[in-house]
Amino acid sequence: MKKLVYVLLSLVLVTGLFAGCGNAQNPAQEVAPGGEAAQEDAGEENSPADSAPAENPAPENKGTFTLFTWEGMFPQEVLDGFEQATGYKINYSVFDTDETMLTKLEVAKGGDYDLVIADDYIIETAIAQNLVQKIDKSKIANYANINSAFQGQFYDPTDEYTVPYGSGVQTIVYDPERVDFEITGYSDLWDERLADNIGIIANYRVINGMALKTLGRSYNTNDLAEIREAGDKLITIAPNIRLIKDDSLEAELLTGEIAAGVMYTSQVTMAKLENPNLKVVFPKEGIGFGIMAGFIPSNAPNSDAAHAFLNYILDAQNGAKCFENLGYYSTNAAADELINPDYKEFLTLPEDFEQDNMEMIGNISDEANELHSTIWVEFTAACGQ
Amino acid sequence: MKVKNRAAKSSLLMAMPMYVFTILFTFGPLIYMFALSFMRRQATWGVINEFYAGNYLRILEPVFSGVFAESFKLALITTFFVTLFGYPFGYFMAKLPPKHKNRAMLLMIVPFWTNSLMRLYGWIIIFRSNGILDSVLIALHLSEKPLRLLYTYPAVVVGMVYVLLPFMIYSVYSSAEKLDWSLVEAARDLGASKTYAFLTISLRLTMPGLLSGIILTFIPSMGLYFIADILGGNKVALVGSIIQEQLLRARDWPFAAALSVALMAATSLTLYLYRRITRSEDLEGLV
Amino acid sequence: MAKKRGISFSGIYLTLILIIMYVPIVLVVIFSFNESKISSLWGGFSLNWYGELFRDRSMFEALRNSVVLGLLSSFSAAVIGTLAATGLTRYKLKSGKVMEYFATLPIMIPEIIMGMVFLTFFSLLGLPFGMVTLVIAHTSFCIPYVFLMVKARLAGLDKSYVEAARDLGASELRAFYDITMPLAMPAIVSGMLLSFAMSFDDVIISVFVTGVNTNTLPMKIYSQIKTGVTPKTNALCALIFVVTIFLCALSMRISKKK
Repeated sequence: MKKLVYVLLSLVLVTGLFAGCGNAQNPAQEVAPGGEAAQEDAGEENSPADSAPAENPAPENKGTFTLFTWEGMFPQEVLDGFEQATGYKINYSVFDTDETMLTKLEVAKGGDYDLVIADDYIIETAIAQNLVQKIDKSKIANYANINSAFQGQFYDPTDEYTVPYGSGVQTIVYDPERVDFEITGYSDLWDERLADNIGIIANYRVINGMALKTLGRSYNTNDLAEIREAGDKLITIAPNIRLIKDDSLEAELLTGEIAAGVMYTSQVTMAKLENPNLKVVFPKEGIGFGIMAGFIPSNAPNSDAAHAFLNYILDAQNGAKCFENLGYYSTNAAADELINPDYKEFLTLPEDFEQDNMEMIGNISDEANELHSTIWVEFTAACGQ
Repeated sequence: MKVKNRAAKSSLLMAMPMYVFTILFTFGPLIYMFALSFMRRQATWGVINEFYAGNYLRILEPVFSGVFAESFKLALITTFFVTLFGYPFGYFMAKLPPKHKNRAMLLMIVPFWTNSLMRLYGWIIIFRSNGILDSVLIALHLSEKPLRLLYTYPAVVVGMVYVLLPFMIYSVYSSAEKLDWSLVEAARDLGASKTYAFLTISLRLTMPGLLSGIILTFIPSMGLYFIADILGGNKVALVGSIIQEQLLRARDWPFAAALSVALMAATSLTLYLYRRITRSEDLEGLV
Repeated sequence: MAKKRGISFSGIYLTLILIIMYVPIVLVVIFSFNESKISSLWGGFSLNWYGELFRDRSMFEALRNSVVLGLLSSFSAAVIGTLAATGLTRYKLKSGKVMEYFATLPIMIPEIIMGMVFLTFFSLLGLPFGMVTLVIAHTSFCIPYVFLMVKARLAGLDKSYVEAARDLGASELRAFYDITMPLAMPAIVSGMLLSFAMSFDDVIISVFVTGVNTNTLPMKIYSQIKTGVTPKTNALCALIFVVTIFLCALSMRISKKK
């Protein structure tokens, strides 16, 4: 009897395995009539027939290009298009957090990966650890398409190492049907009418920074007294906080779990697409923003491929497709024109935007960071009371 | 004497692969963590190799001891409910006819082959205001308005119990399955009440499974934090959550290591006291 | 009569708990037919996400990696854990008690720390990162589960069987294979099932020890956080769920015939 369990179990698992293997090959064939899928098989040895219908015959295989970033950063169309146009085979490797990425990169001594796309502050650290090589702009014909507003930032002041890919601006979004006054800045979030009705992202530099901004300070202050004062201010918003989390905050706003939220740009985009009546506020106290950027690790096995890829996504048309898919602010000025008008409002900075009012969140002293993290613990505990 | 030696030798041989794994992959991380906890963080990345006890002093700050108390409370509540719901399940499962036994065992684990994040999204849909639970309760006239259960403490407890239940069920099941039911029947024939027979025979004989179930529930629930993050809206400050925060966002690895060492010490101490109080070392072969 | 009532109560209890366990999964399946891009917000019926899913070959590669990894590591953990539990129950080694304590420690050490140590250790050894390192890491965190379950099962089991077999001249190996293993089987299976589930769901350790082309399914899912989890993931989970249920039903069919 017990043997039976054992046999059944192995059967289930082994069959599951085969199902997995089978599916891995099947999907492309199943949707092959759709056209796009045929391209995927181009790299496979057994599929010359599949790639034949494509207009341009696939260029010779030039080797593998290993991209290291989060899942879902590029539409499948662009990835396939790149393989088709250049003959590199993309190996899309994923990480969960910036810190994991840097640890992996350190152990690989700047090798293994050809291109990394990550957040600004971690790139500053990566450059300081000598894990990044300079970009050869002569290999990137489309380099001039970069929106200069996102260049020359703290992590790469002379633009030698990075190409920006998407920017996030911290904004307040609220549902005017459930908030009966106009929100214009962070200080309005302290209003009693929002009791137990606000959702915020779980990033303490952004949220503590919100309190710093209402007090007229910088996000990046190293003055411990200022941070402490902001912390005391932050605790007083606790009764208004319904939830703190990073993922799917937009769903909470759309279902009415919260009436207002401080969220990431991709979430704002999703929320606005679902419900155009929502109001997006650039806080009057000042706007924090962050940039994601691509860099080539110091010992990248195939830096040519990395340059080719950067060039490919900096193309205006490809860029537009990327940003429509990504939901972050476009860092590609040439692509701005081509972005679908439905999305344009959320993916490009407003024209009357006061850039002086913007501040990036950068690395700060360890004492300041330590105080920030302690305040955060106090704050989350206070929210639970 | 000679035979005994040989038995000892072969027992050691059988345990050897686990010894190797344990030494490499448990001692290793443990020593690293311990060493790390006495270091100091470097400005933005990495650590400085010098002795520093400040991390442990920082844990003593009231805000952090409060977090430890909170984690402990949640772990106790979770373990209590897991035992309450899991023990009968494992016990009843063992009493099923063999065919159903296998079926129940498989059915129990299938939900856990679905990604945990996705399963928690399922719970979000249930608990959400005007979500499934609210609709059912309102339809049954058990409640009048949405309960707003999502992002509250009960939601966290439900999520924790849900995730840890199989550990208890399987532990109890594997020890109840070997129970000699004729003993129970004999006791009943001799006039023992159902409850009395259960308490004196079944419960006592399934104790090893119950204990390993409690250990497998209590230990992870001290460190589990992502359920509190997702279903509790991050408002329950737990040690696991702070460790994660320190490792990733604050990048203060030594402090995170010190928190982990303290968490392990607290967990181990609780389990030790628990064993002493329940006198489980009297029961043969317990962990 | 009384006995029958007892069984029906336990039957109701078992069914009720099982139903509760499945409610969230059923919702995951339902939401895979969601029109909206947001994973937990209903926007109408659509099969789009299945189309998206089948276009994305990397998802299926990740699924295959996860299944292979889960199988290999739960099996290795079962072998190592069972051997150790048998050895340590049969003869009280001095190191046994200490080992038992240490076996529970991996559950207490935060996964990130384990991940970082594995990463450093494997790179010191010069092991290439990929399936091999993943299997070693997963095996090591699965062992405690099998070990603790088998240990609890063997505790108090009548040792006289094994001794009798040995007295009758059975070799050590035979006695283990013919007596101990069948006795321990429910616990071994329980431990393996749990190990597979743990391995199939692990992301933090995996992300550290993985190689450039061995993404696992949880890694693909958790790294979507930056751009938002879409119902494409629901679609994949629904497929996995349906296939598993189908296989379970099939195996039960076969077992009935036997």
